[in-house]
Amino acid sequence: MRELLRRYQFLLLAIILLLATVILYSYNLRQKSATTFFERAVLTFAAPFQSGIDGMADSVSDVWGNYLWLVDAQQQNLALEQENLELRSKLQQTQEISLQNERLRKLLAFVDELDRPALPAQVIGEDASNWARTIVIDKGTLAGLSNGLPVVAAQGVVGRIIKVAPNSSRVLLITDASSAVATLIQRTRTRGVARGRGENLSIEYALRDADIQAGDLLVTSGMGGVFPKGLTVGLVDSVEKNQYGLFQQVRATTTIDFSHLEEVMVIVGEDR
Amino acid sequence: MKGFFLFLFSGVFFALLQSSVLPLFFPPDWRPNLILILILYLGLSENLPRALIAGLLLGAIQDSFCGPSLGLYVSVYLVIVLVTRVISEQLNVESPPLLLLLIAGGTLLQNLLVGFYLTVLAESAPVLHILLPALPKQLLINILFASVLLFLLLRFQRIFGYRPGLAGLVYQSKHHGS
Repeated sequence: MRELLRRYQFLLLAIILLLATVILYSYNLRQKSATTFFERAVLTFAAPFQSGIDGMADSVSDVWGNYLWLVDAQQQNLALEQENLELRSKLQQTQEISLQNERLRKLLAFVDELDRPALPAQVIGEDASNWARTIVIDKGTLAGLSNGLPVVAAQGVVGRIIKVAPNSSRVLLITDASSAVATLIQRTRTRGVARGRGENLSIEYALRDADIQAGDLLVTSGMGGVFPKGLTVGLVDSVEKNQYGLFQQVRATTTIDFSHLEEVMVIVGEDR
Repeated sequence: MKGFFLFLFSGVFFALLQSSVLPLFFPPDWRPNLILILILYLGLSENLPRALIAGLLLGAIQDSFCGPSLGLYVSVYLVIVLVTRVISEQLNVESPPLLLLLIAGGTLLQNLLVGFYLTVLAESAPVLHILLPALPKQLLINILFASVLLFLLLRFQRIFGYRPGLAGLVYQSKHHGS
């Protein structure tokens, strides 16, 4: 018996470890709303770095926009250029603040319309894989956030919080393959479930006879219990009806450009 | 032991790069998986217990930086480390081109396993619509980044010090006439 164990020890170790990791994964799939100690520790550790990198990227972008392209001119007239540079830098900063102000004002107007308490947050990181669609925001349990809270932007629904640490949270975007949002076609009130497909959405369970056209606005139905009713999700892109089948194939594009998302609002309470 | 912690430190650094810096320059399909490259290199260079422990920890780190559930990359990287160990005993892993070929194989295996786990265990089949079209881009970018990392490793080998058995470092032994 000992001889047998020794001969197949690599295979046995591999099988035991593999089973253990599959069980770990399956267990965590069942505990979707829980953030493990390890995940919380990594999120807590990573948040200051991600905030720092985010800030540094903004600074580098400012320097690139305001300084590097002026290097040649600076050689011709250093003093004048220096003054010009400072003014440009200030102007750029003012423009940046003004743009941010505009974005935040839109967000606030949106939250006023929503009539629910909401907390603004900054996007500080993205997903480290190429298939999952999540972002990291700079608010966590210390700001009162918890798992499952809906996250929105002025243009519409962003996603929901799936992991929280004291100073950061991970948000599952609506374009992730594991995300499903109960929706309505605004014009005809046809129901469907918007599932993520990476860059766009597919609307499942939309009945074959239902009137859906390209360009129709897709809004949340409020049925899932996560998102309030009436938030913009996307626009119908294409509709296909097969010869047979109960449902039609509907594709939609999101109203939010997730690659340029900087500020979001987390809806933290019920209707006021 | 120093090497082991260097692998873990590099893993955390790569995870931060992948989540905060690379998204500024690359769209999701074109983002390299630097931790996978590290895992393959780990499987080729370290002994089995170290490779397994570091592989499991790096998997947990990657899980914490992506997706909804802990355990997916732990399991995927465990399989990749084990397969790499089995393969490394049959091949001349000191050859850099072969190492790049292994990166391509590792990328395919990783996508296959992620697709399998998400479809079968997580019932998240739509992920295949994301994984499959991105596969050729992933292969290309992972090989490109692995080439750059290998070049840098060879270039700065003198600083880190030479250790026999490091995958892809045939040039080092040539320089030293061993």
